[in-house]
Amino acid sequence: MSFSDQVYQELAAVVGERYITRKDFILAGNRAKTPEMPVAHPSAECIVCPATTEEVAEIVSICLRHDLRYLACVTGCIPSAYASGPDTVFMHLKRMNHMEINVEDRYAIIEPGVRHVQLYPEVRKHGLSYAAAAVGPGGSPLVTYAVTGGDNHVQYGASRPCRYLLGVEMVTPEGEILRTGSLQTDSGWFCADSPGPSLRGLVRGYSGNNGKLGIITKCAIALDQCKGPAEIRREGISPHHKMFMDGDCSRVYVFNYENIQDVCDAMLALGEAEIAATVQKYFYLPLTLMMTDSANDFFKKWEYCKKTVPMPLVVHIATQSPEEREYEEKILFDIVHETKGTRIPRDLEMWWEEHMDYFMIVTRLQSVLRLGGSWFPCKASAESVQHMCDIGESISEFIYDFTDTGKIFDAPENYQIIPMEYSHFASSELLFMWDRFNPDGFKNMMEFMAASSATDAKYFYHGSTSSGYGPSAEKKGKLYSNAHIWMEQIQKAFDPRA
Amino acid sequence: MADLNKLRYTIESCNHCGQCKWLLPGRMSGWDFAAMCPIHEYYLFDAYSGQGMLNIAGEILSGKMSHHEDLAEMLYTCTACGACDINCKNVRDMEVLDTILELRRDCAEAGYLPEVRKTELEKVMNTHNIYGLPHEQRFSFLPEDFKDDPEADTVLFAGCSAYRHPETILAAIKILKAGGVKFRLLYEDEWCCGASLWRMGAHKEAEELIKRNVETFRAKGVKTIITACAECFGAFRGGYPRFVETEFRTLHITQVAAELLQQGKLLLRDDGEDMTVTYHDPCMLGRLSEEYVHWDGEIQSWGVHVPEKEWRRGEFGVYEPPREILRAIPGVKLQEMVRSYEEAWCCGHKGADIDGEFAAYTAGERRREAASVGAEVIVSCCPFCREALDSKDDYNLKYMDLTELLADNLREEGQV
Repeated sequence: MSFSDQVYQELAAVVGERYITRKDFILAGNRAKTPEMPVAHPSAECIVCPATTEEVAEIVSICLRHDLRYLACVTGCIPSAYASGPDTVFMHLKRMNHMEINVEDRYAIIEPGVRHVQLYPEVRKHGLSYAAAAVGPGGSPLVTYAVTGGDNHVQYGASRPCRYLLGVEMVTPEGEILRTGSLQTDSGWFCADSPGPSLRGLVRGYSGNNGKLGIITKCAIALDQCKGPAEIRREGISPHHKMFMDGDCSRVYVFNYENIQDVCDAMLALGEAEIAATVQKYFYLPLTLMMTDSANDFFKKWEYCKKTVPMPLVVHIATQSPEEREYEEKILFDIVHETKGTRIPRDLEMWWEEHMDYFMIVTRLQSVLRLGGSWFPCKASAESVQHMCDIGESISEFIYDFTDTGKIFDAPENYQIIPMEYSHFASSELLFMWDRFNPDGFKNMMEFMAASSATDAKYFYHGSTSSGYGPSAEKKGKLYSNAHIWMEQIQKAFDPRA
Repeated sequence: MADLNKLRYTIESCNHCGQCKWLLPGRMSGWDFAAMCPIHEYYLFDAYSGQGMLNIAGEILSGKMSHHEDLAEMLYTCTACGACDINCKNVRDMEVLDTILELRRDCAEAGYLPEVRKTELEKVMNTHNIYGLPHEQRFSFLPEDFKDDPEADTVLFAGCSAYRHPETILAAIKILKAGGVKFRLLYEDEWCCGASLWRMGAHKEAEELIKRNVETFRAKGVKTIITACAECFGAFRGGYPRFVETEFRTLHITQVAAELLQQGKLLLRDDGEDMTVTYHDPCMLGRLSEEYVHWDGEIQSWGVHVPEKEWRRGEFGVYEPPREILRAIPGVKLQEMVRSYEEAWCCGHKGADIDGEFAAYTAGERRREAASVGAEVIVSCCPFCREALDSKDDYNLKYMDLTELLADNLREEGQV
């Protein structure tokens, strides 16, 4: 059945006329192609803004009744946030923006419309933090925890976002409201598990359900204690805001290394010593971009940064006391000495120190968009620090065919490794940029992704690939996470339209 | 003719990251007061935002969409406050506000200028002021014994708001006289600055008016323009260079006054009333007041601009002088709002005659924010912000114009 006036009226009856539209110029705000995925998206038939889980459930039921596609979205920053075909009802969850922090039991209950720029400062007020990449101020923490990936620098002593999900409330593809974890027995939001099979893994999977299993309308996430300064000192006016992670108990150090194995050894040693709040081998291309004021400015600084910081290890020390900080610093310098690291020039390190909190909420990382906006991640894998280093080394097998011929930006070491759980676990990501001014830019990007995928298959490197990449995952063999297979089976079993 | 094609790079660079809608982390403080785009916050749909406007511009540019009345209403409800622009430029090389203004120009040239804007345009063209009041009454508020210095190369530009708020101009005169600044007025030669024409997209008329004004300044030997109106200030700095070469310097009265205070040329009473105030940064005095520098080049691979472009990112707006004045006035305690400096929430005034409810919501949000920091008085220095924010509601907040507040606190009376 196709979208009709009757459907529109039914939807309007759920949310009210103010919160639904089918005006074409308003629909235009949710169908434009983006630089990193320059393909046209079909237009939704209407946009509807529900305010509650019950309204979402009603909308899903209406769509089922009329055999219409539906899509729920908050920010629109990922390719799956657009209609994929005709007769799509677009749900914008912006109005669902309530949050509640339980300081005593250290969790926050959040709805999809709550943004990082809202949640992060609220939890910091209580000396708490959370372990998800913020992807900019307007990003949705619920999406990061429950739907997509999002490893963050603060995860060194913590774990992946998916392991922090507690109670989850969602609307299933059948239009029913499902509550998981302790919510299932009306016991509150505090726990991910409840009697019977755990639903958290099914909801979250390995890399997020990407909308396959329903619409998550509310969830609780566990919070960590936040070491470091209680008050973040700030200075400046945009674009030169500074957010200091200073004080007696906090220091930021950046070291440079000659090769990936030494970085790996340093991260493992830091993990064994259980020191530092943040440790990472960071992208050197965004590192440079984050210090620049424009694309032109970037090219003035790139050669210097490329030579000076080709393989940076960023360490943030955050402790409860100055004595503890001194202790951690002493161990840190011993480890760095033993692993042949060197302090980078103070001007670069200082810049990092002045923006440390900016990195924690990853807003400055959006500067990667400055080179025309065309970037893509791959090698987004997760296992151990050594495994991530092995993956990093394998990049050299194929990347030079692309960098030497100008098909992608010449930054072959531009991957990061984030250790978690004090190096018992880690994730990696290779971030590459392609030039959208090059007529073959998009083609080059697709070829590069294929080449990356081929080395994954060759070495059985699994990635956090979503279910949509099933065929690619199959090539990688048995070592590949089978979350997508389970997701598809569950979808077939429960989704009336699968 | 409008040329959206010149903004194609911006239009096609948007990744929908949403930064145009939310407060930057450098000023974040919590759940409340985190939104930055008034139209997005009120109307909710993404089309009502910098991102959405770029998407619409893209469809207009590609011929997929044409202008029509509904679209025009939406384009002109936007206050063009530039919050989206400054937020985007925090990490990007894009011209979001210029795209919105060019989209309006395209809309106006397609014949869809909303009626209220058409009326405003006619008033300016016929009477040289935005209110349609008789031109000869522009300076009727001056006392009979007022004297300026006809030889001065500094002019005090009163602006159209002198019709409604002559007390602000009288206060500016008092400050300049007390500080010993030699200045003159233009009297019947002063016409509207043209800000509203430029920003509504009536470029032909704006160009005509701006050229006429610049010729007048030249004919009178003007080297420095002082204004107490944020809108005029923003137009002289950010608008005029788009139409004509300018060689004169523009100062806002708060810049002049702050310097006079620093030099000890203004003496303040010390018997002022104790009050907690908060300062509202007008868009056209703050983030949008950097001087426009024309750029006509090529955007090459990786977004490199050749020749290199001077960006207006809102960093060098007039932020400190008003605050310096407030800190100098005895008894005044300044409390900052979360959304301040380049991240100020707009007063909503420019949307008022398109959608009154939206404008009231936007101004109400600002008053709520002011009350939340314990302010008894919200101070600003823009006649339009004054009209939006000087209202009665549950917050028990007074509005004061900064120029008038300073003049009231001067120890030595100027000779008006």
